[in-house]
Amino acid sequence: MIEVVLNDRLGKKVRVKCNEDDTIGDLKKLVAAQTGTRAEKIRIQKWYNIYKDHITLKDYEIHDGMGLELFYN
Amino acid sequence: MANRTDPAAKSIRGTNPQNLVEKILRSKIYQNTYWKEQCFGLTAETLVDKAMEIDHLGGTFGGNRKPTPFMCLVMKMLQIQPEKEIVVEFIKNEDYKYVRVLGAFYLRLTGTDTDVYQYLEPLYNDYRKLRQKLPNGNFALTHVDEVIDELLTKDYSCDVALPRIKKRWTLETLGTLEPRRSALEDDFEEEEEKDEDDQIMDDVDNGAYEKGYHHGRSPTRERDGDRKRDSHRYRDRDYDRERGRGRDRDRERDRDRDRDRERDRYRLRDEKEYGRERDRDREREGRERERRDRDRGRRRSYSRSRSRSRDRKEREGGDRRKRHARSSASPRRHGDGMDNGGTRDEPKKKKEKEMKADGTDHPDPEIAEANRLRASLGLKPLKV
Repeated sequence: MIEVVLNDRLGKKVRVKCNEDDTIGDLKKLVAAQTGTRAEKIRIQKWYNIYKDHITLKDYEIHDGMGLELFYN
Repeated sequence: MANRTDPAAKSIRGTNPQNLVEKILRSKIYQNTYWKEQCFGLTAETLVDKAMEIDHLGGTFGGNRKPTPFMCLVMKMLQIQPEKEIVVEFIKNEDYKYVRVLGAFYLRLTGTDTDVYQYLEPLYNDYRKLRQKLPNGNFALTHVDEVIDELLTKDYSCDVALPRIKKRWTLETLGTLEPRRSALEDDFEEEEEKDEDDQIMDDVDNGAYEKGYHHGRSPTRERDGDRKRDSHRYRDRDYDRERGRGRDRDRERDRDRDRDRERDRYRLRDEKEYGRERDRDREREGRERERRDRDRGRRRSYSRSRSRSRDRKEREGGDRRKRHARSSASPRRHGDGMDNGGTRDEPKKKKEKEMKADGTDHPDPEIAEANRLRASLGLKPLKV
């Protein structure tokens, strides 16, 4: 179980507990549950890399405590 | 300048009609090539030509959320705001299904509640196939009536948040709308009549069966036979439950429930009876479980205090043996198979209680809460 921090630099900072083998799509659902936006509207990035929905956190090498950027579609 | 709404256009739901589409999606559409090339300077007539060329519907797709041509045309319609007659023509036309859906979508966004129900419900009878572009870029198959159902029941479609409309029954009670007449209504009426006939046969049959003499062969007679058999099974179940046969009980209950569900379709009258029986059984089961828990708790504390002494193993062994033995001196009715069934049940019950499959009863409340959320989203529990 890892905990990921998502920040949208406009005031929304969210900590989400998830498994390493969850996909980005699952992570988006968890974030949507916590922030109230729809899961389809969320975009997770790291600098200019937009993270794709079907790849797991483990494959993106996202570790515990790592920060991701939260954008919207 | 090309993106400004027609100055003669009315405001919809208190705002610029283009604002019905969210800011982010709107900007994406304005930057889209299809919008810039094809949708420049369109009027109502030329819009029809463009609409006839679309071959799929959808919202946005891909990593950077590119809008579909369908979306661009919806935006264009919001911008020029065609007359209601034109939109109704779009919907009524039978030849081009995508034009139909385009008109329906626009009406859903801009029309009044009554209009929406009035014009969109006839489209429920259109079963033609449509191609839908999914957010990941693939195509999916859908039908016109499915899309209309989405528009009328959900509040989000094609990446656009649909405005709220009043529910149908509100409008019916207000009198602005008539109750819904489905195209399949005649078929339903036939089935209803058939059911009524069957019910009348049922009543007669039940009375006859109780008295014990035969009636003419009817399909309901077999069902009565089942019911009689099941009432025996209900009684057996009570018996078993008191002795604690766990596994069989669950299976039987499920089977009976399924059969009950089938039968209930024909026999609404007997529902109350069954409900009462089932409630009674459930109550009794709850009481049994309570009693068992209390007993188990008591026995556990007993062994714990004992285990503190040095000859712990011996004592515990003695305890365990005693637990297995009968508590009363009188002979049991079901014989020795009973004891094993009872004790097999207890450790299994304990294990079931401690580890639920989706981890929602984790000792740490935060993790339990997270697991509950994950279960509701359809994800596996957290690996602690």
